[in-house]
Amino acid sequence: MTPWKRTLERMRRNKLLLFGTLLGAVVLGAGILGPEISGVNYTAQNFQNVHLPPGSEGHLLGTDGLGRDLAVRMFVGIRISLLVAAGVTLLALVAGIILGMIAGYLRGKTDRVIGGVVDFVWGFPLILVAVLFAGGFGEGLFPVILAVGLVNTAAIARVVRGEVLGLSEREFVEAARAGGYSRTRIMARHILPNILAPALVLASYYVAVAVIAEAALAFIGLGAQPPLPSLGQMVGDGRNFLRVNHWESTVPGIAIVLLVLSVSLIGDGLRDVFDPRLRHEAKGVAEK
Amino acid sequence: MRRIASRTVYTVIVLVLSSIAVFYAIRLSGGDALAARLPASATAEQREAFRELIGLNDAIYVQYFDYVGRLVTGDLGNSLTNNASISAMLVEHGRNSLILGVASFFLVFAIGVPLGILASVRRNTWTDGGIMSFSVAAMAVPNFWLALLGVWLFASTLRLLPSAGCCSPRQLVLPAVVLAMEGIALTVRMTRSAMLENLSQDFVRTLRAGGLSELRIVGKHVFRNALVPVISLAGLRIGQIVGYALVVETIFGWPGLGQVLVNAVLRRDYPVAQFFSLVLITVVVLSNWLADIGYTLANPRLRRT
Repeated sequence: MTPWKRTLERMRRNKLLLFGTLLGAVVLGAGILGPEISGVNYTAQNFQNVHLPPGSEGHLLGTDGLGRDLAVRMFVGIRISLLVAAGVTLLALVAGIILGMIAGYLRGKTDRVIGGVVDFVWGFPLILVAVLFAGGFGEGLFPVILAVGLVNTAAIARVVRGEVLGLSEREFVEAARAGGYSRTRIMARHILPNILAPALVLASYYVAVAVIAEAALAFIGLGAQPPLPSLGQMVGDGRNFLRVNHWESTVPGIAIVLLVLSVSLIGDGLRDVFDPRLRHEAKGVAEK
Repeated sequence: MRRIASRTVYTVIVLVLSSIAVFYAIRLSGGDALAARLPASATAEQREAFRELIGLNDAIYVQYFDYVGRLVTGDLGNSLTNNASISAMLVEHGRNSLILGVASFFLVFAIGVPLGILASVRRNTWTDGGIMSFSVAAMAVPNFWLALLGVWLFASTLRLLPSAGCCSPRQLVLPAVVLAMEGIALTVRMTRSAMLENLSQDFVRTLRAGGLSELRIVGKHVFRNALVPVISLAGLRIGQIVGYALVVETIFGWPGLGQVLVNAVLRRDYPVAQFFSLVLITVVVLSNWLADIGYTLANPRLRRT
């Protein structure tokens, strides 16, 4: 069997991955197709139909305090969560791999400078960084993506650097150096393919981190601004009506938990398939 | 020792750099643009004073040293929204944050360590499974949602605890538990894996062969070794608590430093936001430094270098 076939086979047999992917597909599908299929406008208000419970006529999951349809707002909220997560992860993967590779391969002064900055950023609580950014740039999705992306970049760069330090001692890199290839070529052609798997596995963890952080920030009013419905902001809006209709908080809350759960399961599954050694790294992530 | 010294130097550098970063971040966006975004309640004099404060006249490094000088002498200025003295805010809200922070820091270890030990001793039983599922769930549920569930169950439905406010012991329960939850989950995992690692060591087999009771082996020998990594990383938990406090204090209306910073950012109260950013950054950087030192002392191999 080729290595790829073997990997695919292992992926197929991994139950965590299977369940996570199924759950993720449902949530993703709801986010992508939900608003289109339901055809309801997520900003449409109706003051005759406020605080409706789930199962009301025309509103499958009920309505909020402005009579807006909860189901369609949840779908759009999922979309925004996924968008933020995608932006953050892309940023963190690209920047983290580049920084980690440069620091780990060049070593010396470059490593100390990059390492110092990365350690500094990594040591900060995500929410604090995001609040500081919101202070500098104002509220909205952009500072959230930037802040979460920055901290996740540091996390990925740390791991990539460690991997590269080990790899650059190996014979095949030695051989490439002896062959007179440039540093850029060695990094891109010989080192990069070998760190891609661990970096991707780690990135999948940080998707969950990004989703939770965005929701928490939106909840306290610093994320997506109305009328854009972010899941965290919906939970926050609903908390004033817990006694009237708790579903206004519960529905988006469950959506967040399902989203985080599916992403974490996929992350755990990928880790088992690609790199059992990373169990240790995952612990490091959790310790943060 | 050299490692501790170098980490200390690094920490000082980081503190200076972040104070410069916070200082610049507020000024880079342009003074006039910022003055226009001040809260509506700011008076004309306050606007003028703010323009003066972020200074369109002096060179920026002059202003920085000016600001540091005023920080050192304790002249912190006033809030733009209610004209409260910032130093008085620091004392009052700092005390509230300290109460909440210490309470949840205590819960993290008082609950996390015993549960972790129990799970390791009863490995692969229902007890272990239950504790570990709890720890997974506690990490997957975002804390602001947990806070809402707590309010809904204990305040609205059972009416056992107040849903918000400060600072009676009853009001402290919900925010402290919510703030501690993720730390508890992590401590359970760390304690369990550290215990298991030690339980499989040769010295345990030797002790068992020597006829020592299981309680004595676990309680005296394994436990003490296993606690080292857990305690040495306690500094990281402080940083984590500071981060989540921003959310939890806002939810429960607990008037601590986190709530002050979030409100200042939302209301564009720049003098307050700038100062309390610095305060929280300092707490985080210092607690990371503590974690570093703890970790170095706990690992003899690092201690020697």
